Amino acid sequence: MLVKELIQALDLEVIAGIEGEDREITGVYISDLLSWVMANLQAGNVWITIQTHVNVVAVALLGEASCMIIPEGAEIDENTIEKANQEKIPLLRSKLTAYQLALKIKEASNLK
Amino acid sequence: MKELALHILDIAENSIRAEATEIKITIVEDVVLDVLEITIEDNGAGMDNEFLDRVLDPFITTRTTRKVGLGLPLFKLAAQQCNGDLIIESRKDIGTKVKATFQHSHIDRVPLGNIVDTIVAIILADEKIDIKYKHVYNSDEFFLDTVEIKEVLKGVPITNIDVILWIKSHIKEALKELVKS
Repeated sequence: MLVKELIQALDLEVIAGIEGEDREITGVYISDLLSWVMANLQAGNVWITIQTHVNVVAVALLGEASCMIIPEGAEIDENTIEKANQEKIPLLRSKLTAYQLALKIKEASNLK
Repeated sequence: MKELALHILDIAENSIRAEATEIKITIVEDVVLDVLEITIEDNGAGMDNEFLDRVLDPFITTRTTRKVGLGLPLFKLAAQQCNGDLIIESRKDIGTKVKATFQHSHIDRVPLGNIVDTIVAIILADEKIDIKYKHVYNSDEFFLDTVEIKEVLKGVPITNIDVILWIKSHIKEALKELVKS
């Protein structure tokens, strides 16, 4: 599944980094403690986190996330949006919770 | 919490409930030593040693002492997750000092966040309380003292909307300059 297909399937709000929409999704990772994410995020993962400051873009790049989804409609810092655009990594948002998002991704894809 | 400013607001609310008439908030950012230090000091009711021992235990404090709640344990956790710590000094009828330290560059350190709104919220909480806010960034510093502001105001309440808007933009501009330098 590609990021742009995920955006469509889950009706995600595109906040930044749309240029990265052709990335392939390999799985889903959910965590908010950045040091833990750095150690465990797998390349190509959709990363769902409630953290919205600029460090998340750095962590997503380092772990080669396919995209980031901010759940529950949380507000996102301006410089996070700028950085995601610069780095061309899709920054997406949904009103759903992380759990609901995970369920929907499971429904919409064949990811394990 | 997503911003350290929310922790500051939370601790300052403890000070207000402890009937402090003066709250000192000091933020020291030293990028060279890689330290961020936040101190909230008040002259409120203070705590005796027995209370002080329990104040960092979330299970006991939420049961018996609603006043303090989870604020301090969570602030301490945030500091410890960033190679720092939180210490509390308090004396009954004298006041309380809460000091949290963080590794400035630690990946899990959330940003300071909206410190401007936090300071303004504390000022608005009770106009009789004096706030001394000092923010040090490396070798430069910004200082705001509501006692000085009240002197200039000559009786106009500090909670007056125009005064508050001025204070807001004053802090905002000063912090922008501070961090730039």
